[in-house]
Amino acid sequence: MDRVKTPLAAAFLRLFTVQASWNYDRMVGVGMGIAEEPLLRSLRNGTEDGPAYRAAVARGAQFFNAHPYLCGLAVGAIARAERDGVPPEQIERLRDALIGPLGSLGDRLFWVGWLPLLSTAAIVAITLGAGWEAIAAFLVIYNIGHVTLRWWALSAGWNAGSDVVAALRHPLVQRSLRLVLPAMALVSGFCLPLAARWLAQPLPRGPALGMLGVAVVGLVLLRWQPRLVTGLRLGLAAVGVALVAGWAWR
Amino acid sequence: MTTAALVLLVWGTLVGVDLVSVPQMMIARPLVAGTIAGTLVGDIETGLRIGVVFELFQFEILPIGAVRYPEYGPATVAAVAAAHWSGGPLALGIGVGVGLIVGLLGGLSLHWLRTANARAVRAATAGLESGDVRALERVHLGGMLRDAGRACAVTATGLAVARLVSLLDVARWSPAALVLAAAAAGGAALASGGTGLPRLVGRGPNLKWLAAGLAAGVAVAWIA
Repeated sequence: MDRVKTPLAAAFLRLFTVQASWNYDRMVGVGMGIAEEPLLRSLRNGTEDGPAYRAAVARGAQFFNAHPYLCGLAVGAIARAERDGVPPEQIERLRDALIGPLGSLGDRLFWVGWLPLLSTAAIVAITLGAGWEAIAAFLVIYNIGHVTLRWWALSAGWNAGSDVVAALRHPLVQRSLRLVLPAMALVSGFCLPLAARWLAQPLPRGPALGMLGVAVVGLVLLRWQPRLVTGLRLGLAAVGVALVAGWAWR
Repeated sequence: MTTAALVLLVWGTLVGVDLVSVPQMMIARPLVAGTIAGTLVGDIETGLRIGVVFELFQFEILPIGAVRYPEYGPATVAAVAAAHWSGGPLALGIGVGVGLIVGLLGGLSLHWLRTANARAVRAATAGLESGDVRALERVHLGGMLRDAGRACAVTATGLAVARLVSLLDVARWSPAALVLAAAAAGGAALASGGTGLPRLVGRGPNLKWLAAGLAAGVAVAWIA
C-alpha cells in the first residue's frame, strides 16, 4: 500500500486517512488497523505472515472511536505493546481505556478550541478588509498545529507503550487547553458583531435592519426549539420567504 | 462555463473528501471552500461572502462520534457557483438557498457512506478477524473511493442545481428578491453562528471571555 520504509513514517502518513472507512460498526477501527500495520511488521515470521502478526492486525482493526488527530497516540501505544509481547487481554483493555480520553481531549483541543479560534479570527480579518491572505494564514497556522499534534501523538504513544496515559497529562497539552479555550471564546465574541456589520454593508438600510431582525428571531427559535429548528432549516425558510416576498413586491 | 464547472467539480470533490476521509486539513471549511471556489471562477468577493455565511452555519455543528449533520463544504462550492452565475455578490441569498439544499443532500450522502462502509466491513468480517492485511486494505481503499464518488456526485448535483437556478434569472425579474434573500441568508447565518459559538464556549469560566469579546466587537463595529 505504501513504499515508505520507516514504519513510524508509514504509520504517520496512513493516519491522515484514519477515517476513510469510518462506519457505524467499527467506527474508526479499520483505519486504526491500517495505520498500525507497518508498526507490527516486526512480528512477522520472516517474509511469512506469522500468527502473532495476524492476531495483532486483527485486534488493531476492531472497534475504536476517538478524535482523528489523536488516534496516533493509540496506534503507537498499542503497536508498541504488541511488539513488547503484552498479553492480548491487556491490550484490549488499553484500547478500551483510551477511547474516552482521546475523544474528549481532541474534541476540546481542536473542534472546540483551535479550529473555531482560527476560523473566527479569519472571519474577523476578512471583515476588517483582508482577502485570500486570511484564508491562507488560517490554513497554514491550523495545519502547523494539526500536523504537529498528529506526529506528537504517534511518537508519544510509540515511546510510552502501555504507559501512554501519562502522555495525556503532558504539561504542554494541559497548558494548550488552558490557553486555547478562553482565546476561542474571546475571538468568537469579537467576530459576531463584525460579521453582522460586514454582511449588512452592501444592503440598503431597510433590508439590513431586516437581516438583524431575522438574526434575533432566529436566535430565539434556535435556543427555544433546538430539536425542531436548526440553522439549515432556519436558513431555508428565511431565504424561501424572502424570495416569495421579493417576487410579490416587484 | 463548462470549464469553470469542471474545475469546481474537482474542487468540490477534494473538499468533500477532506471533511472525513483524507487528509482533514480543513479545506472542507466553508471559509476555505468558498474563497477558493470564488477565486476559481474569478469572483473572490462572492466566494468570501458565501464562505463567511456558511462558516457561521458550520459553527452549529460539532462532529462528534456518529452524529449526523449537513455537509457544508461541497454545498459552499455549489453556492458560490449559483451566486456567481446569478449575478455575483448581490445574489448571495440565491447562492445560500442552493447551498443549504446541497448541504442537506450532502448530510444524507454521509449517512449512506457510513452505512455502505459498514456493509463492506460485514462482508469482509472473516478476513478482518483472521488478520488478513489485504482484506483490511480493500475495505479501507473501498471507503476512500466511495467517499470520492459521493463527494463528486454531491458537487455535480449542486452545480446542476446552481445552473438551473441561474437560468431563472431572478436578478432580472425581481431585483428586490435578491436583496431580501441576501438579508434573510445573512440573518439566518448570524443566528446560527450566534447559537453555535456560545454552545462551544459553554457555561463555564470562558463565558466571561465571550462577553468581553462581544463587547469589544460591538465597539469596533460601531467605531470602524
